[in-house]
Amino acid sequence: MSTALAVRDLRASIGSVEILKGLDIEVGFGELHVIMGPNGSGKSTLCHVLMGKPEYDAAGSAVVSGTEMLGTSVDVRARHGIAQAFQYPTEIPGITLRELFEELAEQRADGAALLARVDDIAARLGTARFLDRPVNEGLSGGEKKRSEIFQLAVLAPAIAVLDEIDSGLDVDAVREVAEAVERMRGPDIGVLLITHYNRILQYLTPDRVHVMVAGRIVRSGGPELADELEETGYAELVAEFGIKQEDAATGDDFLAGL
Amino acid sequence: MSARPEPEARWLAELREQGLEAFAALPMPTSKEEVWRYVDLDFDLADLSMPEKAGTPLGEGRFTVAGIGGARIVDGFVDDIVQPDGVTITPTSEADPAALEAAAASVIPPDLDKFSAAHHGFGTDGLLVHAGKGVAVDGPIVIDVQAVTPNALSLPRILLVAEAQSDLSVIVVYRSPDEGTFYVVPQLQATVGDAARLRLTTVQAWGYGTVSVGQQRTVLGRDASVHHGEAGIGAGLGRLHFFVDIDGAGAHSEISGLYFGEDDQLLDYRAFINHRAPNTTSNMFLKGAVEDASHSVFTGLIRIEEEAQRVNAFQTNRNLVLSDEAGAESVPNLEILANDVKCGHGSTVGPLDAEQRYYLMSRGLDRIHADRLQVRGFFEEAIGKLPHQEMAAAIRRAVNEKYVRAQEEGRL
Ligand SMILES: Nc1ncnc2c1ncn2[C@@H]1O[C@H](COP(=O)(O)OP(=O)(O)OP(=O)(O)O)[C@@H](O)[C@H]1O
Ligand SMILES: [Mg+2]
Repeated sequence: MSTALAVRDLRASIGSVEILKGLDIEVGFGELHVIMGPNGSGKSTLCHVLMGKPEYDAAGSAVVSGTEMLGTSVDVRARHGIAQAFQYPTEIPGITLRELFEELAEQRADGAALLARVDDIAARLGTARFLDRPVNEGLSGGEKKRSEIFQLAVLAPAIAVLDEIDSGLDVDAVREVAEAVERMRGPDIGVLLITHYNRILQYLTPDRVHVMVAGRIVRSGGPELADELEETGYAELVAEFGIKQEDAATGDDFLAGL
Repeated sequence: MSARPEPEARWLAELREQGLEAFAALPMPTSKEEVWRYVDLDFDLADLSMPEKAGTPLGEGRFTVAGIGGARIVDGFVDDIVQPDGVTITPTSEADPAALEAAAASVIPPDLDKFSAAHHGFGTDGLLVHAGKGVAVDGPIVIDVQAVTPNALSLPRILLVAEAQSDLSVIVVYRSPDEGTFYVVPQLQATVGDAARLRLTTVQAWGYGTVSVGQQRTVLGRDASVHHGEAGIGAGLGRLHFFVDIDGAGAHSEISGLYFGEDDQLLDYRAFINHRAPNTTSNMFLKGAVEDASHSVFTGLIRIEEEAQRVNAFQTNRNLVLSDEAGAESVPNLEILANDVKCGHGSTVGPLDAEQRYYLMSRGLDRIHADRLQVRGFFEEAIGKLPHQEMAAAIRRAVNEKYVRAQEEGRL
């Protein structure tokens, strides 16, 4: 059985700036992996590069369910089974979420089945009210995250890439979103969850936790690694693996500059 | 061209005189004049003939809609009046003088330009729609304006009068055959009395060989409200030069619209919103797209007179440029003489949004369908604001079809 996602020596740059500097990660079907790491370390870039966002130049390899994805277009990847919950979901004015699903259903061989599960999943996640509103428009930060997880649940991908799905959520919402992720899990899906906070991990038990610094995975471990990071922060890892110190303003410098 | 004398009100007779004089005195406009910039007029009005009588009317079209009454104007000749209850529809030549008199307040000046001069000087007959004081109707009056005689000039005229406290709803569809050249100078004027309400939708559904240079003016009384919806779909040259004169305190003007140019269409909107009384509000929201070698122009001027304090006035014009050879101009302007006002404008011209495309494709839509959805969504906001939602489906279909066709034919 192939893995859900196998990333090897992934590099990505924008213009002449290299953001991902040789990254390896492997998420098996049924697994949940977590990536943590300081702001600007390249976590969202990884998500976009996996999704095929055109502005990045990527090299290396990213294989999903046995198929190389680098070099293919965004929609091909989506149909092959990559789905991303965006850290900053884009508003689509004038198109309701239901219309988006309907359009998708027309494009997909399994469209009827997809449409058939929309209302059930919406009822379960309490997201029915988003269906008749324009996609992400006028939604609060937390509502956008719920809408993202709702869409992913409907899409039922092979690899779900969740970029800070828990940021900006109130305590109840974190639990609900975590439950939604938990329900998505299964033998046919791998989940890659990017987060800054341990609290979502109170409800989800990851198989692996990875730390990303300056475009590389610098440490990997079991669930206990997340707890450790909570205690220690990233300072040591940044000092060891990070970009040159003068480029990396510390929080204190930032505050002093205000 | 030749004038066609007919019995008419004295002010109409005077206008005709003024029109003839202005027509003789004024040159054809050129694109050197700011208000005609981008317009290439390759004909002379004086060379055009006018039909002696109406040609054979067109059958039902894609924008044909049922109303509670209405009329048809073919080649400038009024026919087929269906009289609704409450509102009176007549040719101006047969109109009640008192009703006609109220229309004088919203006349479009004959010396505006050579087109308006021609309209007044040579116009055949007008159509007067008159809602008396306090009259409210529960459906639209539908006016089907057609140009059907090729290579000829027609000068259709619509006069709307909504007396105090009345409520009038009018849909005007302008159309001509797809094949052949037609010249039209339509004028639509509306006098909207104190606390009266007018809902007006105009659909420019001319064939692509049609040159339409139209003028429109609405004049609002105290606490009056006008909601004008515009859909610019057809015409090779489709120009609308329009004036909203907010003369009565407390009045409100709302303009919502959309346009979509393809082929080598030029869609040219010149909007002049004049606040001449205090506590008045206006809002304009126009969305347009251009593809192929088409061009659109929007220039909007909001002018707020010194006596017009406590005014709110906004205009928004957003444009999608879908092909390299297409272009959109958007020039909103404010001229504010009063000091206690809230005014603003927003104007954008640009290609489809790459982030929206990425987001939609990341859900599994191919680029063609992602862009199609984005275009549809872009117009949806404007379509949702049209005052006659019974027209929404046909208008939605017409604009989306243009884009889909261009995609399918590989023109983008
Ligand atoms: N489109 C872009 N143009 C320019 N720089 C970019 C672009 N995308 C990412 N970067 C840069 O790459 C680095 C990594 O950004 P990325 O968004 O991947 O970080 P992140 O780990 O997701 O951070 P955060 O935790 O704040 O979300 C940053 O320095 C960012 O400024
Ligand atoms: Mg990020």
